[in-house]
Amino acid sequence: MTMTDVPRIATDHDRLPPVLAFGAPRILAGAAQDRRVDLAAHRTLHGALVPRSRGWLSSSLAQVRMKGRGGAAFPVSIKLDAMPNARSASVLVNGSESEPASWKDRVIMRQCPHLILDGALTIAQALRTKRITIAVHDAASARSLEQACRERSDASSVTISITGNAFVGGEIRAVINGLNGGRALPGGRRVLPTVDGIDHKATFASNVETFAQIGLLALLGATEYARVGSTNEPGTTLVTMVGDVPFPGVIEVPIGIPIASLLQSPPGDRRAVLIGGYHGTWVDHIDHLVVERDALRIAGAPLNAGVIARISADHCALVEVARVTSLLASESAGQCGPCFFGLPAIARGVQSMVEGAGSEPMSRMVRHLDTVSGRGACAHPDGSVQFVRSAMLTLDAELRQHTEHGTCGRIDGHVLPVVAAA
Amino acid sequence: MSTLRVDWTRCDGHGLCARLLPERIALDEWGFPIIAAGELDDGLVRAARRAAQACPALALRVDKS
Repeated sequence: MTMTDVPRIATDHDRLPPVLAFGAPRILAGAAQDRRVDLAAHRTLHGALVPRSRGWLSSSLAQVRMKGRGGAAFPVSIKLDAMPNARSASVLVNGSESEPASWKDRVIMRQCPHLILDGALTIAQALRTKRITIAVHDAASARSLEQACRERSDASSVTISITGNAFVGGEIRAVINGLNGGRALPGGRRVLPTVDGIDHKATFASNVETFAQIGLLALLGATEYARVGSTNEPGTTLVTMVGDVPFPGVIEVPIGIPIASLLQSPPGDRRAVLIGGYHGTWVDHIDHLVVERDALRIAGAPLNAGVIARISADHCALVEVARVTSLLASESAGQCGPCFFGLPAIARGVQSMVEGAGSEPMSRMVRHLDTVSGRGACAHPDGSVQFVRSAMLTLDAELRQHTEHGTCGRIDGHVLPVVAAA
Repeated sequence: MSTLRVDWTRCDGHGLCARLLPERIALDEWGFPIIAAGELDDGLVRAARRAAQACPALALRVDKS
């Protein structure tokens, strides 16, 4: 489908959320909401970066079972093994964090930029290339990374590129299309960046947090890296906690920590929790869930980019779902018909649920969810369907109140951020 | 074995494919194709290729799998 313009989210609201760690911070060591780790502090905390061979890196990434932190959770060692050794190859750090509720990547870029550079330089050296691009869409992160490159002598070949900031524009193939001079939209054919990336050459592309974790692995070695976390997925990860949670902000946690302890939920707590952000899943029983990518995927609630949110019992969750669904609809890139027409229809359906429309609009919306599912060039339609479908199942008691009374009696807390389209 | 695939970024919902291959393709309420799941029967491959060639947006293709 051909459309003219891409809607944009204005994301350069510059206040970082609180920055915390459960247990000892690693990625966020030395950082705070108002404290950036400069090169001297970074080296004091982490020591000098030693070159790591491609063989060492591949086996260490496999040993710690590192998974990509952008959402797809692809094994990083397999991605590395798919790359040729070539000077024409590129390393692409995707810092275009485009989900309004997520802050973790911007926190790392602004407060701990040197770990990202350590990770990117480690990969580039292993691949024998000098081409490193960091794609960012907010000015503060770009400034921090530029400053970090000036602070050190080994980062002269790093290019920092400001990219568009639409929701789907943060998708890696969209970023690459934008860098190659095209429109920042996902392509119609699913071609991997390791085959066709920057300048149509093989590109090792991953998310900001992944590169910070690779930097940490290069600095610590695999054994020390794997001293925290779970057996299945060693290390720490960053989550953004939103809403009625004990510690709102960006939190570094050891992988394997129960979500109930992050939320300080008593056993049997049935409050609805959103796992995995706006392409994520609403659940109302979390006792068995732990922060671990494989486990959450198997439980049907993938961690995606790490947003975990809870709506307080005093606030209406359904109205939040309706507002986020409208955002998702407006952020369709307009390339694919089912998404462009289907998501607004679904958003209208959710809004009519809020107003208590009853069973006929409900069954129409369920039909629309089925229609949109699996029919697009990127993950946006499927992620949006997952968000709405799980909300309808999990919030069924509240939904019934809205159907019967036109309201659940709770107030709109405006908890889940939706930045208005600029 | 062959599978029908749509490049959703190209498809404009002309709907020709559903006329040429009603055995496998229906249209949603906005006119975009709904492809039946699974692989094509051998007897339908020729008709599927014809439908793909007729697509004004070059959005439909028959992939060998």
